[in-house]
Amino acid sequence: MNKEHFLKQLESSLKKLSLEERQDILQDYEEYFSIGIEKGKSEQEIATSLGQPKKIAKELLASYHLDMVEQKTSARNITSAVWAVIGLGFFNFLIVFAPFLTLVCLVISGWLVSVAFILSPLGIIINLFIGQFRIADMFLSLCLCGIGIFVAMGMFVATKAITNGFIRYLKYNITFVKRGIKYE
Amino acid sequence: MNVQFKKGILELCVLVLLDKKDRYGYELVQEISDQIEISEGSVYPLLRRLTKEEYFTTYLQESSEGPPRKYYKLTDKGREYLYELLTDWKEFSNGVNQLIEEGVRK
Repeated sequence: MNKEHFLKQLESSLKKLSLEERQDILQDYEEYFSIGIEKGKSEQEIATSLGQPKKIAKELLASYHLDMVEQKTSARNITSAVWAVIGLGFFNFLIVFAPFLTLVCLVISGWLVSVAFILSPLGIIINLFIGQFRIADMFLSLCLCGIGIFVAMGMFVATKAITNGFIRYLKYNITFVKRGIKYE
Repeated sequence: MNVQFKKGILELCVLVLLDKKDRYGYELVQEISDQIEISEGSVYPLLRRLTKEEYFTTYLQESSEGPPRKYYKLTDKGREYLYELLTDWKEFSNGVNQLIEEGVRK
């Protein structure tokens, strides 16, 4: 692999980074190549000693995504960070993905329950049309509807709390995960 | 030597080298790879990470030959971190040496 090939591969693996950051990184490696050439090494030799561009990119990307979560906590940033960290190894898969999946399922199922409860009077209306209407069913469904509204209110608070909690967990793990990156 | 082990040590090596004087990336990589076999490409991600953590600052300096070079300078925060790591390392290596000596004596 020559210099051009190496830099091109690195650049294309770093598409997600901002132009500024990508150029900064590429400049570092360009500098490395040009000094190496001055010292009388061949481009191939330098590229080989640097290792695979894709591996270098993986390491850079994971750090980048973690920094993004620290800067701005959006669902998208969290997901990107989770994926980037998972990409680094199986151990990270366990400590990051398992809790992430559990929490996502918990939140989704909570919301589904509340929505189903709130919409249950609709079933009564359908019963009315098909002639299966019973007064007891109506009270039951109104009860459920009320409970559903409470569940929804609870879920609203819980979703916020869980999101914040997970972000804190990720942040807490950043040092640990960053260490993990080093050991990959 | 074990790759994982070496990569953890890399951070310590970089910090120690910068404690003496400011250096540019190529120089750092060469100094380290003269002593330890490393994947040279992984030093730059490490340098970027430690710069973001404010352990280093960087500046460009013209060189007599070729393009300007990016120099890394250790900050006070970085120096503090270095001493922390050094203490850890000394404890660790003393412990291992102790075990080896006891093992050899038997």
